[in-house]
Amino acid sequence: MYGHQGQILHVDLKTGKIWTENLPEEWRQIYVGSRGINAKLLWDYCKDPEITWDDPRNVIIYGPGALTGTTAPASGRTSVTTVGCTTGMYLKSNTGGHWGAELKFAGYDHLVVHEIADSPSYIHIENDHVEIKDASGLWGKDIIETDTLLKKWHGEDSRGLYIGPAGERLVRAASIQCSLYHAAGRGGGAAVMGKKNLKAISVRGTQPIKIKDPKKFAEVAKEMRELLRADSGAQSLHEFGTSGSIAGVNELHAFPGRNWQTGYTPNVHPITGQALNEKGYLKRRVACFGCTIGCHRYSVIDEGPNAGIASGGPEYETFGALGNGPGIIDTEGVLLLNELCNRIGLDTISAGTIVQWAIESYERGVLTKEDTDGLELGWGKLEETIKAVEKMALRDGKLGELLGDGLKIATKKVGKDSYKWAIMNAKGLEQSNVETRSAKAYALAFAVNPRGNDHLMTETFAEFGASPEAVELIEKLTGDKKWASPHFTEYRAEIVRWHEDCYEITEALGFCVFTSTAAYGVNPDNMARLYSAATGLKMSEEELMLSGRRVVTLEKAFNVTRGATREHDNLPWRLMHEGAASGPLKGEMNSPEELKEMLDKYYTLHEWDLKTSWPLKATYEKLGLKEVADYLANLGKLPQ
Amino acid sequence: MERLLLVDMDKCTGCKQCSLACSLIKEDLFDPHRGRIKILKREDIALGIQLLCEQCDAHPCIDACPDNALSRNDDTGIITVNIDTCSSCDSCVKACPYHGIRLHPETGKPLICDLCGGDPYCVQHCVPGALCWIDATDDLMKQKKKLRSARMAKYRDLKKEAAK
Repeated sequence: MYGHQGQILHVDLKTGKIWTENLPEEWRQIYVGSRGINAKLLWDYCKDPEITWDDPRNVIIYGPGALTGTTAPASGRTSVTTVGCTTGMYLKSNTGGHWGAELKFAGYDHLVVHEIADSPSYIHIENDHVEIKDASGLWGKDIIETDTLLKKWHGEDSRGLYIGPAGERLVRAASIQCSLYHAAGRGGGAAVMGKKNLKAISVRGTQPIKIKDPKKFAEVAKEMRELLRADSGAQSLHEFGTSGSIAGVNELHAFPGRNWQTGYTPNVHPITGQALNEKGYLKRRVACFGCTIGCHRYSVIDEGPNAGIASGGPEYETFGALGNGPGIIDTEGVLLLNELCNRIGLDTISAGTIVQWAIESYERGVLTKEDTDGLELGWGKLEETIKAVEKMALRDGKLGELLGDGLKIATKKVGKDSYKWAIMNAKGLEQSNVETRSAKAYALAFAVNPRGNDHLMTETFAEFGASPEAVELIEKLTGDKKWASPHFTEYRAEIVRWHEDCYEITEALGFCVFTSTAAYGVNPDNMARLYSAATGLKMSEEELMLSGRRVVTLEKAFNVTRGATREHDNLPWRLMHEGAASGPLKGEMNSPEELKEMLDKYYTLHEWDLKTSWPLKATYEKLGLKEVADYLANLGKLPQ
Repeated sequence: MERLLLVDMDKCTGCKQCSLACSLIKEDLFDPHRGRIKILKREDIALGIQLLCEQCDAHPCIDACPDNALSRNDDTGIITVNIDTCSSCDSCVKACPYHGIRLHPETGKPLICDLCGGDPYCVQHCVPGALCWIDATDDLMKQKKKLRSARMAKYRDLKKEAAK
C-alpha cells in the first residue's frame, strides 16, 4: 500500500491475543487517517453508552498520520483516541515526538488496545514481533526512569510512550508522555492507560513507507516547506518557541492570570520564550519527527540550588497555567514545575487550572488549611504550588485526593458555588490559557469542542488577522476582511466550521496544526495534492475537507450517545458572567445571550437540531454516516 | 568553485528530514535507515548528531575493504562502492572514523554519501540550517573540521556513557 502501511494492530491485554487486520481501503477515502480513522474505530468498538472510560471494553487507539514518516513538513504527529475519563465523552489527544513515526515504520497505521491486563504490563513492538510484557519493574517509576530502562532493554533507537505515577493513580490530569517531553496530555488518556494496567508502549520499526508518485510528492512537499520557511509565524516558533507570543498576548490583555481574574501582567518578561533565550536556559531547539519548524525547547538550569534540572519546554500553555496562572512570574519557578510535570506525567494545562482553583478556593475560605494538608496556598507561592502539584499527581493526602479527580468532581465534592471559579465548561475539562472573552470565534470553538473547552480540536487564530494570509482567509470565509477581528460575533460560526474541517484533515494526515491554522504553509489544496501523490487516491480539496466534516460529525455523534446536549456547549461560569479585568475589552464577557446567538448560527450551518444540538438524520446521511444515524435512532437521539 | 558541506550539530533539531530526503532521492521511498546521512538521536538530552561520509583525506575505509570494492575520486573525495565485488563484510563500517557508513537493511551493501554528485538533496530539507552547502574557503574548511570534531567528541562521550 502507498502512504499508509495498510495494517491495524490489535492487542488484547486480558487474553494476550495479538492480531492485525487490513486497513479497509474505503476508509482511506472516507476517514483518511489518524484522528479520522481513530474516530471510526472508537465508534465501532465503544458506541454503546454503557462503555465508560474505566470499562474493560473501552479501547485506546493510537494513530500516526496518513503521511507520518515522510518529508511532508511537520507531519509526525499522532492522535490518541478513547472514551476520556475527565469528561466521560469522546477524547482525542494529539502528540508530537518520534513515537508515531516509529509505529508506522514498524508497519502499522493504528494500534488498538483492548481490555484490562491482570497486572502491570507494557507492549513491545518490533515490526511484526509484538509482545505484551511484564511491567512490574516499571510500575511506580517516573517518566525518565521508565525511558532509561526501556531503552536499555530495547535499544537507544526504540521510541516510547509512557504514563507516569500520576497515570498509574488514575489522576484525571495525568498525561501520556511521548518521546519523553511531548504529550498527549489532555483529557486523561493516561488514566485510561493506568486503568488498563498499561505502563508503556515501546516501538522499533524498519519497514519503509512507499509513495505512489515520489516525484509529485517531493514537489508538493517542497512547496509546503518553502511556504513555511518564509512564514514569519513559523520562524518565530523556531526562534522563541510557542512561548514567544506571550508578550504580545499580554499586550492584548488576553494572558489569563490568577485564575482568569487578570488579563495583563506587568513585567511578564520572565515567563516568555524570549527570557528562556536571553537567560541561557534554552539549550536546544527541538523538532518532532519530520518537522522543519522545530518549535520545541530543551531547557536546563545551569547554576544555583536547582542546577541540573532539565526538561523539554516550557510551552506557552505551561508558562500560562503554571506561571501566570498561579502568579509565578519567575522563569526558574516555571522550569521547576514544568520538569516536575514531565517527570511525573501530568498535563501542565489541567494541573495549572486545577491548582489555580485550589488557590482561589483557599483564599475564599472554601478550602481550609485542613483541606490542604496544612499548605498555605496563595498567588505567587512557588513552594506551595510545587507541593500542591505533587500531591495532585500522587493523590497524596486530603488535597491530593481532591485535586487528583479534576475540577468536574472536585467542585461537586466541595460545593459552595466553587464551580463559579472553576475554569471548565459543562463537559468538565480544565480550560487552556486562552482569554475567550475577547476572542469570539475562540469562544464558540471552545464551547462546541467535543472534548471540553480548549484550543486543540480546532483553533481560529485567523480571526486576529495577524498576518496577510490570515486576513485573506477571513475574507474568503466571510466575504469581507473587516471581520478579521476577534471582537466581532458576526460570522464566527462560518470561521469555526471551516477551521474544524481544516484542523481535522491536518491531523488526519499527521501534520502539526501550526502549519495550517497558525502559520499558513499547509492548506486544504496542497494537502489534497500531497495525499493524492502519496496514496494514488484521487482526492480533491473539497473531498478532503468533506472528510473533515464527516469526522467532526462522527465525534459529535459519539458525544450524543453519552448524553451530550446543547447545555454541554457552554463556557466556564466566570467567563460567561464576569467581565474581563482590563484592556480594550474591559468588562467584556462570553454572556449566555451572546453565546446563544453564535451557537444558533453554528448549529444551523452544520444542519444540527437547534434545541438539542444533535445532528439531523439528513445531515448524517449526506455525509455517508447512515449507520451512525440508525444507531442513534435506536437510542431515540435522531432528530428529523 | 569547490563547495563544501557544513554540518552543525548545534543547529540540528533531530527531525530526520535529511535521512528521509536521502532515502527518497536514492530509493523512491521513505526509510531513515536507508539514509546515507543518519541522525544519532538522544531524546533525553534532545540531541541529534549527524553522521555521514566526510570525504576525508585518510579514507581508511578503502584500505579496510578486503574486496577492493571501494574507490575514491581524488578531486571530490567521493567514495564509490562496487556492489558486485562487495561482500557486505562490514569492514568499512568499522573502519570509518566518523561513523558515517552503515549497511543497507535489505541489500547489505554500504550506504556512503556521494553528495548527490554535487548538489546534496538533504540540504534543501534542512530549514534550521544545520546542513549548508557552500563555496569552500580556507576559513570554512577550518570551521567544517571544528564542527566535525565537536560532533565526534560528543559521539565518543555518549558511547562512553552507554558503556558504563
